[in-house]
Amino acid sequence: MFSIPRHITRSQLLAILLTGAMVLIVFRLFYLQIIQHEYYVALATDEQVKRLEIPANRGMIYAMDGDNPVPLVMNQQVYTLFADPTVVDEPKKVDEAVRSVAGGNLVVEDVLSKITDKSSQYKVLAKNVTLRQAELIKEKKLKGIGFQRVSQRVYPEGEMAAQTLGFVNYEGKGQYGVEQELNDRLTGKDGLLKSVTDVANVPLSIGKDNIREEPVDGDSVVLTIDRNIQAKAQETLLAGLQRSGATHGSVLVMDPNNGDVLALADFPTYNPSDFTTVTDEKVFRNVATTEPYEPGSVLKTFTIAAGLDRNAIEPDSTFYNTDSIQVNDRTITNALKGVTGTVTMQTALDNSLNTGMVTIAQRLGDGKEITRGARDTMYDYFHNRLGLGERTGVQIANEQPGILISPDDVQGNAVRYSNMAFGQGLDVTMMQVAAGFSAIVNGGTYYSPTVVAGHMDGSQLVREQHAKEKKGVISAEASAQAKEMIHQARTGYTSTDLPGYYVGGKTGTSQTLQDGEYISTQTVGTYLGFGGDDSQSKYVIMVQVSGENMNLEGNKHAMPIFTDLSNWLLGYYQLQPRA
Amino acid sequence: MRDSLRQVRNTTRTLVRRHNPDYKIMMYTTILVLIGLIIIFAIGPQRANVLNESFGSDLSEMHFVIKQGASVIMAIGSFIFFAFFVRIEQLKRFAKPLLYIGLGASLLLFILGDQMLKVDSVAQCALGACRWFIVPGLGTFQPSELLKFGVLLFLAVFLAKRMKAGLINSRDKTIIPVMVLMAICAVFVIVLQKDLGTGIALFAIATSMLVVSGVDKKIGAVLLALLLVGGLLMIITAPHRIDRVTTFLKGDEASVDDASGYHIAQAKIAIGSGGFEGVGIGNSVQAAGYLPEAINDSVFAILGETFGFVGLVFILAIFYLLLMRILHLVDLLEKPEHQLIVAGVFGWIASHVIINVAAMTGLMPLTGITLPFLSFGGTSMLFIAAALGVVFQISRYTVHGIKREEKYENTRGRRGVGRPRYASRRSTR
Repeated sequence: MFSIPRHITRSQLLAILLTGAMVLIVFRLFYLQIIQHEYYVALATDEQVKRLEIPANRGMIYAMDGDNPVPLVMNQQVYTLFADPTVVDEPKKVDEAVRSVAGGNLVVEDVLSKITDKSSQYKVLAKNVTLRQAELIKEKKLKGIGFQRVSQRVYPEGEMAAQTLGFVNYEGKGQYGVEQELNDRLTGKDGLLKSVTDVANVPLSIGKDNIREEPVDGDSVVLTIDRNIQAKAQETLLAGLQRSGATHGSVLVMDPNNGDVLALADFPTYNPSDFTTVTDEKVFRNVATTEPYEPGSVLKTFTIAAGLDRNAIEPDSTFYNTDSIQVNDRTITNALKGVTGTVTMQTALDNSLNTGMVTIAQRLGDGKEITRGARDTMYDYFHNRLGLGERTGVQIANEQPGILISPDDVQGNAVRYSNMAFGQGLDVTMMQVAAGFSAIVNGGTYYSPTVVAGHMDGSQLVREQHAKEKKGVISAEASAQAKEMIHQARTGYTSTDLPGYYVGGKTGTSQTLQDGEYISTQTVGTYLGFGGDDSQSKYVIMVQVSGENMNLEGNKHAMPIFTDLSNWLLGYYQLQPRA
Repeated sequence: MRDSLRQVRNTTRTLVRRHNPDYKIMMYTTILVLIGLIIIFAIGPQRANVLNESFGSDLSEMHFVIKQGASVIMAIGSFIFFAFFVRIEQLKRFAKPLLYIGLGASLLLFILGDQMLKVDSVAQCALGACRWFIVPGLGTFQPSELLKFGVLLFLAVFLAKRMKAGLINSRDKTIIPVMVLMAICAVFVIVLQKDLGTGIALFAIATSMLVVSGVDKKIGAVLLALLLVGGLLMIITAPHRIDRVTTFLKGDEASVDDASGYHIAQAKIAIGSGGFEGVGIGNSVQAAGYLPEAINDSVFAILGETFGFVGLVFILAIFYLLLMRILHLVDLLEKPEHQLIVAGVFGWIASHVIINVAAMTGLMPLTGITLPFLSFGGTSMLFIAAALGVVFQISRYTVHGIKREEKYENTRGRRGVGRPRYASRRSTR
């Protein structure tokens, strides 16, 4: 009946086949799992173990609100919405859901065509989607839709202090301002995770050799900027610019008693969260630290202070004004003519007489010439003692040193120094001028300016001592005399200050250098002053306004901004007027 | 010789009484099912995570365990039903209808599927092949599994009739009809559903039955040759199969960076990195998205990673014991249809195990086929359980060592077959 070899039944044939296959498989397993084990373990490790960075959180940036830190820059977790078209099974539903929930965040025009194009497995559909939006979309349980978490800076105060803050670019690096200058400190240190991961690089808790280094979050930095003063400075600057028609302006407010920068306002400005929409790079710049200029007559206060401290002059010292003065081959004239004859140094300051300042420079020497000795003395006061022509070290990126030519230089001759005596022939920043001026009005201590008050430890502010101080850069007596002279100079001009306070200031109107030549069609208006009660100055304010082809003047265009802000500050500090 | 044997059979047939079934079949199956539940419990949560992460689905961690548990309960029900509640004689009457339902369902699936009506809510398709019906609330149903069961029963009844009539080697009455039936099945399963794995399993069922039915060696050789030519045709007409064969021919050189080699390379990494003892339950990394189909067709590789060489050899040993147990019944059965059913079930399970494991270890090109009881998936388990239920019932009708008499004249082992002792007692009436 069975036509097979006698000794093998049909079922035995099947048994032999099965046994053979099984033996072959076991041999193969032995080869793979025992002999080749190490090889496959190496292959497995190769693809399973990954080194992942655990990103550190970037530190926040706070401003002061009186004595309390308030956040100016925060972090927000947002999501990038992407699709894998090869997995999307209901493109119409996806299109509808994405449009209805995150329509404003879309980065593609035609969602439907993107998610039906199966040529790529990763299509970004929307950016900056909030957690709430992401959850709404997730609830719809659509296939092939994924989210990537991204950390993003947010600015609860909008444009406030934009040029001081700077922004963070898409690579997570700080650009401009504090963000750039303190980038390392704000960034912190990323952690490291060496771990077995799943195919999507999500770490698994499996495995013995996992290494985990915790990330160190960046410091949350607290600025010395007072949000109220900053807001008021921006407001008064904007109002002042609107009155004068000037297109550019900057305001710097400093605490003269410690070098804290209380406000730094620039116009035009921008919102750091929209930094990509800015077309003119100049808008990012912090003018007060990065754009040195000739401030003009406001620096007469420095010459006066040097003269007083050296006892070269007294406030009531006199000189004979002819509205012009000869320095070597150059004749220097006054802007305001007619106050001629024997006049006091106070009169010279009140009327911004250049001849008076040149006279002081001469008296620092032999009384007739601006000698090498006079120039050395002026350089000592301007540069060494009051910090002009040198980076102040304020924590704002791209700070410029400006130019202050030393007497050692060929160009540091008498003509140069006669010009410097009234604020020309040098390039300095507002930050330098305000810091030096602070020393003049605070009794003679130079504080290097700072924008960093400290950092946050939890919800507590830990103050940091930054300001280097140089005591006695001028004597207390010279400081008091200079202050009084500056007070007089201001009150001769204006009576708009609140009564009972001690406010002083000096105007400056400087021609603009274009290709090495002064042009008469464009002047920059500057005002530099202090305010406070009789015991001490609470603030120093420096204002600068400019505009292309505009003649802007210190007294007409910059001073009103100072006055508005100064009067407000007197109230803000709740200073008691003298009875 | 033939006559004498037939006489013996005729006399013994009347002597066979219903006795206790072969509980070892149940025992081996239970062990496999338990291992399957353990591995799905171990990797199910990871699998759910991977699907949630990459496909935006929303599966709970226990999703796969619960579904597999439900499948096991249904499979147990199916086993019990076919083991205890349907008598073989009754079942024989359903052989034809079941075959027609299987064929009809396959045809319906094609009509509803991608190529024609595109009724997405009913037919589940992937890459132009529709292999599943979507059953609302229950999941999916693969009609080709029903077809295997139908072919099994139909061929058993059909070939038994031919055997009894002595026509088993008749070209027109037996061989051609079987060839036609199998060709139809091949068109439905391999061509339309693009499911070569299931196709091979179908042919394995039929081949095992033909071998046992006593088809002439020469006819067998011709059929085998035809099968090989047909198989080759199936391969060269489908680009993805050529891919898989070239990948296979690359052997252990195939790397994960190569798209077509990715699957098998990952399977080998899983098996190879398991080593002697394996990485232990819950420590499989390859299941975390690296190995495709980790929970279904590739579960053997994950078992290799988890339980190592020791575990795989144990699992293969259980399969081997189960299959040998089934095969052994063939020799102890009286009725041709019983023999044929048991042989078909042997071919069914053996083909699944060998094709799946050989593919995972790189001994054969890759085809999509489940590893019985271990792979996640309900339909396959349901019908294999049904088939085993039938075998279990048939194991009640074994006789003691009759057919070995001539060969083992002097070594006739009374207890060698391992049946319960009293099962060998013959009724005298």
